[in-house]
Amino acid sequence: MNRLLEFIKRIYVVLLFILLECIAIWQYATSTPYTEAKILSRTTAVGGYFSRKITNINHFFSLAGENNMLTHRVAELEQTLERERELLADYTEESWQRKMADEDDLHYRYYPARVASMTISHLRNYIILDKGERDGIKKNMGVITPDKYLVGYIIEVSERYSVAMPVLNTEFTMGGSLQMTNYTCSLRWSGDSPYHVDILDVSTYAQPEVGMAVEAWSERMPKGVTVGYIESFEHNAAKTAYSARLKLAVDMSALDNVLIVENTHYGELESLMDNLDIQSSSNGTK
Amino acid sequence: MYKYIPYIWLVLAVVLVQIFLLDNIDLGASISVLIRPMIFPLAVLLLPVEWKSVWVLLVSYAVALVLDMMLGGSGIYVLTLLPIALLRRSLLFITTRRSVESSDQSQLFSRMRLGQLMLYVGVTLLLHHTLFFAMETLSMANFGRLVATILLSTLCSLLLSWPIVRLFTSKVTA
Repeated sequence: MNRLLEFIKRIYVVLLFILLECIAIWQYATSTPYTEAKILSRTTAVGGYFSRKITNINHFFSLAGENNMLTHRVAELEQTLERERELLADYTEESWQRKMADEDDLHYRYYPARVASMTISHLRNYIILDKGERDGIKKNMGVITPDKYLVGYIIEVSERYSVAMPVLNTEFTMGGSLQMTNYTCSLRWSGDSPYHVDILDVSTYAQPEVGMAVEAWSERMPKGVTVGYIESFEHNAAKTAYSARLKLAVDMSALDNVLIVENTHYGELESLMDNLDIQSSSNGTK
Repeated sequence: MYKYIPYIWLVLAVVLVQIFLLDNIDLGASISVLIRPMIFPLAVLLLPVEWKSVWVLLVSYAVALVLDMMLGGSGIYVLTLLPIALLRRSLLFITTRRSVESSDQSQLFSRMRLGQLMLYVGVTLLLHHTLFFAMETLSMANFGRLVATILLSTLCSLLLSWPIVRLFTSKVTA
């Protein structure tokens, strides 16, 4: 209290000045309609300016929350969209009712997550995500951005965290397909640039073009996940296939919010492939 | 009390000259728009330097209130004279290039060089006139004419004020 009094005592002249000026401004502003209109418009403009600045600052600090909310919303919408797609692709009255009633029948499920840490400067880079087993995350789930750009897939899971192998890892393997065509290819990262990957084994019948999008072709991912865009392409030495250099659609250095994608049929597909392997190896031994 | 009588005369004189003489001079419509001399800021400028800011502020308020009432200013005289009262010490400091906190401040005006004194009065009048005419028009639509009015009126006010300033600083504060 004493400090406050001391402070007021120090600035009382300025306070008196402000008080007298305020009285004078009020008196002057209300003296004629012209001054009233002019001063009112100026004070409104100044008030509006400061109000806008304060709103902008508040908005800036709420961006993280909004971003998080939007990522959750994207996950929900992707899930709904996936469900609608499946219904449309396989529509019967019975299937419609069954799928509407049963959430578990969804082909793909989306889980929002945030990048806890990551590297992009090594040959074997990894991304640690803040969702783990207790959030329903399992190995081999895909990782994409909310814009549906390829990031990688989950290779290890702990209770609270999971590790994804991004496309920027020399051990990363996944198929790709040229957008709007059925021509497939293999994705490889040579380790030279964090903004580029290579695609190999593109059929010579395909007609790649600069700027053409390449999508992920994998059982871990839904359709329509973009890997990148063709920057240059050439025939291989034997002229049996094309290889091309892609500019990655996602900027890995600015990765924050991601979606983890679960293919609910992945276990079934995996066991099917395992059975095929067993059969082929037993045939080989015979 | 006795030593403040010249100041009372000064305040009365500039206020009365302003009300009854300068505001009633008819220079013709075209010139009156551009030239409106105001010498009443002298009542604040020449107050004793050693006075506390609060007293300077209150005297300025009283002078401006009288002018508002007599000339129908509706607060504009208070609005524009009080900033001058508040900034007086800073303006003195800037124009004399020294602190006014020292003990020899009572005779400061008589010991200022003529150039410094003119700069102090001129800058203060310019600041006052800028505030006054900007508040009066409240518009930048005729910016050129506003600037011309400020400059010409300041020059005219300075010419009219200078004899009073010289007389007062040489006879009273000496």
